Amino acid sequence: MLDICMERKVFDKNILDKFTEEFAKIVERHCKYIIVSGFVAIAHGRTRGTEDIDMIIERISKLTFTNLHLDLVKAGFECMQSDNAETLYEDYLTKNISIRYVKNGQILPELEMKLAKDGLDEMQIKTRKKLPLTGLDVYFSSIEMNIAFKEELLKSQKDMEDAKHLRIIYEGKIDKVLIEKIKEMIKELRLR
Amino acid sequence: MIERDNSHIEQVERWAKYVRDNPFSWKKQHSLFIDSQLNMALSFFERLSQTEEGRKVFSKLMKAKIRCV
Repeated sequence: MLDICMERKVFDKNILDKFTEEFAKIVERHCKYIIVSGFVAIAHGRTRGTEDIDMIIERISKLTFTNLHLDLVKAGFECMQSDNAETLYEDYLTKNISIRYVKNGQILPELEMKLAKDGLDEMQIKTRKKLPLTGLDVYFSSIEMNIAFKEELLKSQKDMEDAKHLRIIYEGKIDKVLIEKIKEMIKELRLR
Repeated sequence: MIERDNSHIEQVERWAKYVRDNPFSWKKQHSLFIDSQLNMALSFFERLSQTEEGRKVFSKLMKAKIRCV
């Protein structure tokens, strides 16, 4: 069993998996993060396209972000909006506008990063999890959170299918009461 | 707007059950699918960038992706 797992880990990772793990490993040295939205479903086997991976990070200081950005640049990532950490922090992140990183000279895939913007995002980070079924060494927001966001806030056909996929994968293992509680919080904090 | 019958969502459900029930075999098929999509897009952009006009289109596409303040 272990051999099979090891083999899977080494040989079956796709471009998105490798990109996300490499990026997340650097971010974790500076702050807590979570991977959210489409990639959560894709990492659980959803067969659909995406060109970016969504990441929410703690509300860190400008200095901490600058160190993170420099570390990412050192590792071969570049930000599409600007090279200047101060600009990225002041003109984008603190205004709740996401920034996007790619590997140097490449256009795909992208990682879209934003700061936690309210108590719901902070709760997502606080309850973050590594999800063994994905085989990936990264932190995700919980399955309950993802289902609730997709069904209550995002609601596109793609999002509803993602939620259905996750409900099937985790059938009998998810906290349905918690999903409903999170949906109430979404209504309170995001839909009013 | 194109309407779909139930066959699409049934396929989504069928594949989700396959992933759930086959933890050691879905990933290889899935990774091939994901990599193929990205490689197709990259190949397209590479072809697009081979002409002057294509490079202009590519540049527009890239600018459109960046959200301005």
